[in-house]
Amino acid sequence: MSIDEPSLARLMAASQRGDRAAYRALLGDSRKWLTRYFARRIAPHHIDDLVQETLVSMHRKLATWDSSRAFLPWLAAIARYRWIDMLRRQRDEAELGDNDAAVGAEDEAVHAKLSIDHLLTLLPPGQAQAITLVKIEGASIAEASQISGQSESLVKVNVHRGLKKLAELIESE
Amino acid sequence: MKDASIDDLIDGLASELKPVRPRRVVRGSLWVAIGWLGVGALLVGLFGARHDLAAGTMSPLSMLAFWLIAAAGVAAAWSALRMGLPGVGRDYGGWRCAVGALLALPLAALFVFFGDAHGPDETARRGFDIHCLAQGVVSGLGVGAALFLWLKASAPTSPTRAGWVIGIAAGAAGATIVALLCSSDDLVHITLWHASAVPFSAVAGRLILPRFLRW
Repeated sequence: MSIDEPSLARLMAASQRGDRAAYRALLGDSRKWLTRYFARRIAPHHIDDLVQETLVSMHRKLATWDSSRAFLPWLAAIARYRWIDMLRRQRDEAELGDNDAAVGAEDEAVHAKLSIDHLLTLLPPGQAQAITLVKIEGASIAEASQISGQSESLVKVNVHRGLKKLAELIESE
Repeated sequence: MKDASIDDLIDGLASELKPVRPRRVVRGSLWVAIGWLGVGALLVGLFGARHDLAAGTMSPLSMLAFWLIAAAGVAAAWSALRMGLPGVGRDYGGWRCAVGALLALPLAALFVFFGDAHGPDETARRGFDIHCLAQGVVSGLGVGAALFLWLKASAPTSPTRAGWVIGIAAGAAGATIVALLCSSDDLVHITLWHASAVPFSAVAGRLILPRFLRW
């Protein structure tokens, strides 16, 4: 079943009024959407944790959705915040997954704004290459050094600085 | 296992759902207005308004600076309020133009200071008016507190930026309140000791607030 924006907005409006059945349906749909959202951004074994954290945040911040605006950008903003939080917590060992899960066309605009490919183009080339090799393709520091021509210490520095800048970029997008 | 725990979580969250009152920027604006006008009225009551204001007039230069700073404050406060209601793709940058326009003050002050338009005795006579700056920073606390409480209860997705913008709004609010108290019409004085509450409070907001705005 596709998750469409008008239905989600209706469920959310009902949830704000205290309708538990609507809220349960909304959480179920949000869970599916979040799983696909995070699948493009983080390592598979982190997805469930982040989905749970985001659902709890969504629950705590239910009153901050403005019914005159779309629901998915609101959910994406909360998901992004939790993602940044995870990046910060695990800055040195953050694992950015590269699962190309299928995404519905209606979600594409929201996803595109925050796609990891897009964000990497905003980093200096050396940092983007180091992160791509080490954190996305899973190369070791030594292998990344050989492939990129950067010294091993430079690869480490570029990964560290790149992840820090990535978190800042995600915030500003 | 994980699927079961997410299912349990969803059941738990749904069972504890209670109706919520959606947060409205307009309501937050009311808090900010109370913080701004309340502190302003209190300080004017305590220290008295500048002499010409009591007579219903104000020099054009002071008036211009007042409205320029007020516009920056309103724009920053509005941006900060909107930051509480998140959404990917929403633009919270309206304050940047108004604050950019505020740069007209130091630029003009430089020309005045080094040109003929400024009486060299003016700055010397007025001296080091750090109490105007301190008064500006303190006067902005009403607006700063209102914005902080609003964002604390909302969902700012960039606490760092929120800290900056709260500081700018608070500093600008404080500077407008000082403009009602201080009788100087000297542009150098206004820039140095009134408007500088804006960058001062902005830096303070950036350094102090983000850790308290995380959620």
